[in-house]
Parts: sequence; structure tokens; C-alpha cells
Amino acid sequence: MPRSATPAGRLASALSSMKLTLVCLALLMILVIACTLAQVPLGTHLAVERTIRSFLVWWTPEGSSLRIPVFPGGGLVGAVLLVNLLFAQFLKLERSRRKAGLWLAHLGLALLFVGEFATALFQVESQMPIEVGQTRDYSEDTRLMELAVVDATDPAADTVTSIPQSLLTPGAEIANSALPFHIRVKHWYDNSNLGMRQPSDPPSEATGGIGATLSVREAPVVTADDAQNAAAALIEPVANGQSLGTFWVSNALGAPQGFAREGRSWRLTLRPRRYYLPFSMTLKEFKHDIYPGTDIPKNFSSLVRLRNEATGEDRDALIYMNNPLRYGGKTFYQASFGKDDRLSVFQVVRNPGWLIPYLSCVLVALGLLLHFGVKLSASLKAVR
Amino acid sequence: MKGVNKLFPLVLLAALAACQKDRIETRRVAKEASPAMPGAAADGAARPAGLRWTTPAGWKELAGNGMRAATFELPKGPGKAEVTVVALPGDVGGELANVNRWRGQLALPPFAEDQLAGARASVRSGAGTVLVYDFTGTGEKKTRLVAGMIQVSGTMWFFKLMGDEKDVAAAKPAFLKLVEGLKSDAS
Repeated sequence: MPRSATPAGRLASALSSMKLTLVCLALLMILVIACTLAQVPLGTHLAVERTIRSFLVWWTPEGSSLRIPVFPGGGLVGAVLLVNLLFAQFLKLERSRRKAGLWLAHLGLALLFVGEFATALFQVESQMPIEVGQTRDYSEDTRLMELAVVDATDPAADTVTSIPQSLLTPGAEIANSALPFHIRVKHWYDNSNLGMRQPSDPPSEATGGIGATLSVREAPVVTADDAQNAAAALIEPVANGQSLGTFWVSNALGAPQGFAREGRSWRLTLRPRRYYLPFSMTLKEFKHDIYPGTDIPKNFSSLVRLRNEATGEDRDALIYMNNPLRYGGKTFYQASFGKDDRLSVFQVVRNPGWLIPYLSCVLVALGLLLHFGVKLSASLKAVR
Repeated sequence: MKGVNKLFPLVLLAALAACQKDRIETRRVAKEASPAMPGAAADGAARPAGLRWTTPAGWKELAGNGMRAATFELPKGPGKAEVTVVALPGDVGGELANVNRWRGQLALPPFAEDQLAGARASVRSGAGTVLVYDFTGTGEKKTRLVAGMIQVSGTMWFFKLMGDEKDVAAAKPAFLKLVEGLKSDAS
């Protein structure tokens, strides 16, 4: 019986078909257009997350909490395309030295898909704003928050317990062995409007800190690239059933709030999620060169001092456009600047699969060179 | 439809990766001077990013606290007055609500929307137009308030000079100079 006559054979044939490739490519083109258009209302990050880096594109009718899948996402199309490529390669491509170049090129292409999946799953992006003369050993993700509960009793150093945003859900009781109390989460707002309390406002739910003088109202989440949400949480530290105060914390609020308990001083801050580094960087100099007679930027560069106590490394590094610093599994790109050129902002990317696209491009190039080299050689032989 | 996602073990990997990221962590760190303020780009910067100003001669800028981005100590006068700078995200209730909050602080009756234009002065600064209001209380010991508001990059900035009427009158020219000299700190 021919292979295509069995159900498995028919499935294999369908999965290896060129028609499937074309459908997938068409779907990807639609997704790219949809993602580009979606960047206007959603911002770049959310548009990419919802269209390219998802398995399905969901739609929620206005005023409803229902989620309806309306289109395959980039993850699903990419996965089908990868399967299609592998089936076509193993079922249809001749296993001979003559086709070695094509095998290599297809392998490189498959690796490109794998690399994109690795990036989607494991890449962590954050930012490191650093002023001239300042030293930093962490980067921040401004899209995610964390509640920092700081034991500030020791005059020499702070002990910080960071509670990620995902755990700050209303009704949650958060306990940790580092804390002699637990944190009760009463409200969580992804975005809020903070204002001074008006005489007509209802009594504040906060009993301590600056929040008692504020009105805090939930606001629609903003997603534009240049907009930032003012996340807010109403939290209550509780020890042995006794409340230690109720506090509004927000990344939009300034000085920390806190309380004292049993001779220890505690501070509460809602801040962008921090990723600590096993090394530190000091910004020694920031340069913002412009073309003479214009305001057009020519170059941005940051001279940093890199110190790693574990390895004893203590050296300068220059980061400028298209010349990032790769160190400790992270890449530091020159991303922005401010404060009269006293502030430099690095985009910090941790992507364990960053080499995969380079490797796949090399494989594709080598494969094509080999394939066309073999063809050229055969043609020349035929001419002779 | 959820079943579609289950077809992909990569989703499971993603979930595992996500779980690994969301743990409570405790670490000992060097003390920080001050946490980030609204829009602040760096720790230790008591002044939020977004606006720059020049402190008028004779005034002393003190570090911010609470919601205050800065407080200015004024030269000693017969009474008391101070200037505060507050930065909050969003429109903070809008112009009318904030004007009426200020009027409430002086025990003045609230304005209606159509009364705003008559009381408003628009001051041009390097960061845009600052809406300035000047109100004086009606009590025996008159308290006066000169306040300006400007929105920069989604953050509303409030500059408020408040205190005894004579002290506020003496400080108002310098206050307006401070407001006129505001510059955007955008990159």
C-alpha cells in the first residue's frame, strides 16, 4: 500500500506540503501587518506579545470578560512552519551528497525557528538608567512591579525582601521566613489615578504613611511605549493577628513609607522589578556627539567601569550604538539618555539563545554556497 | 480552545520559566539615599525626572519627601511661607478639581468650570504653559496661595507658594521666575 494511502501517510503528506508552507507564510504576513497596526493602540511590547509571541490571537468584546480566539498567533504558525519544514526535509529531500547544501540550509532555517522560540521563552529585557558617577548592580523592568519590604535597621546595609507583582493579588496573604509578619493584600491596581484627598472623598482605607492623605482610584491600563502605569496596592502587614498599619504603596509615590516593630525599622516600597547582577557598573562618562551645526545625533557612548568582586575584574568598557557590552550572560545596549546628558540608559537583555540566529544564518549561507557551488561545478562540467 | 495550547510542550516550558522568575527573594544591599520618584530614572535622585528648574536667589531647595519632589525654604519674612513641588502621574483629577482643592485649603467656595478662565494666568515656560492661580483666604489672618500646574510626559507637576499674605506677596515674583524657568528634561 502506498504511504499516502494510510491516515498517517496522508497526515505526513499534508504536513510536508508546499501549500502548507505558503499558507503559513501568508498568515505570518497578515500577523506582521496586524502587529504593526496594533502598535498604535497597544504599544510595541503588548502588540508583539499578543500577535507574534502567542499561540493564538485573542479578542475580548467590549464590556465582556469573554476571550475569543480569532487568529493563529505567531507561535502557532511558527511551530507549524517548523514541523512543515522538518517533514518536507525528511520525507521529500533527497539524502545525497548532491543535496548536502540544501540540507544544511534547511537545518539553518529550522534553527532560526528554534532560536525565536528560545528568545520568546527565555529572554528577559530590562533597563539600567545610570547617572554619571553613579554605581549600579541591578537593572529594572518598568513593566513589572515588586513590593520591596526593607529591614532598614542596620545602619550599614538594608535587607530587602522582594515580592513579585504576580503574588500581589487582592486577598493574598504573603508570608516569608525573612519577615516576622505577613503581608495582606487588600487591593491591587495595575494603573491608578493618585490625587490629593478632597473633603468630599470617603475615609481613606490607609491608616499609615502618605497614602492616608491620598485618593487612589483604579485607572485603565496604558500600554503606549512612552506611557507608564502608576500601579498601586493597599497592603497591611499583620503580626500575630495584629495589624501594623494599612498602606497605599505605588511606584508613583516618592519617599518610602514604613513602620517600626520590636526595635526594627521597616520600609515598604512598590518599585519596578529589579534584577540584581553579580557585578557592578559605574558610569564614568557619557558622550552625545552631534553633527556640526545641527542637532542631529552622531553618536552616543557610555564609558563604564566594570567591577566583579568574584572574578577580581576591574576594567573600563565603552558602550555605544551598535557596540553593546556582552558580559555575565547579559548584553548592555546604549538605549537612551537624559538629564542634560548626565544620564545614560542601557537596555539590558538576557537571552541564552542569542547565538542561535547567528549560527542559523551561517548555516543557511554555507548551505546555499555549497548548493550553488555544486550546481555551478556540474554546469561547468557539462559545458566542457 | 485551551486544548490547542496544550499541544505545545513549549507552553509548559514557558510556564516553568515564568514560575522560576516569580519567587520572593531576600538579599542584603547597600543603603540607598532615596527611592525613585515618579518618572525618576535613577535612585538617589530626590528630584523626579521630567522637569528642571533654577532655584531663585536666596531660596534654599530641600530634598523631597512623601509626594513632594522638592520643598523650597524662603528667606525669613515677617510670617511663614514655603514653596512645594509635587509630581503625580496622570491628570490628577483635572484642572477644576485641583483648583477647588486649593480653594478648599483657603476655606474659599469651590469654582464652577466657567469661573476658571477668569482666575487663570497662563505663564509660558521652557516646558510648556503653566496654569497659575492666585487666591487669598478671607480669614482675619489672611493666607494666600499662588499655585501653578503643568503636565509633562504624563506627569502632573504642582508648584505651590503658600503662607501669610505678605510673605507670599514678597515671594511671588521669584516664584513666577521659577515657573517661567522650567525646562523639560526629556531625552
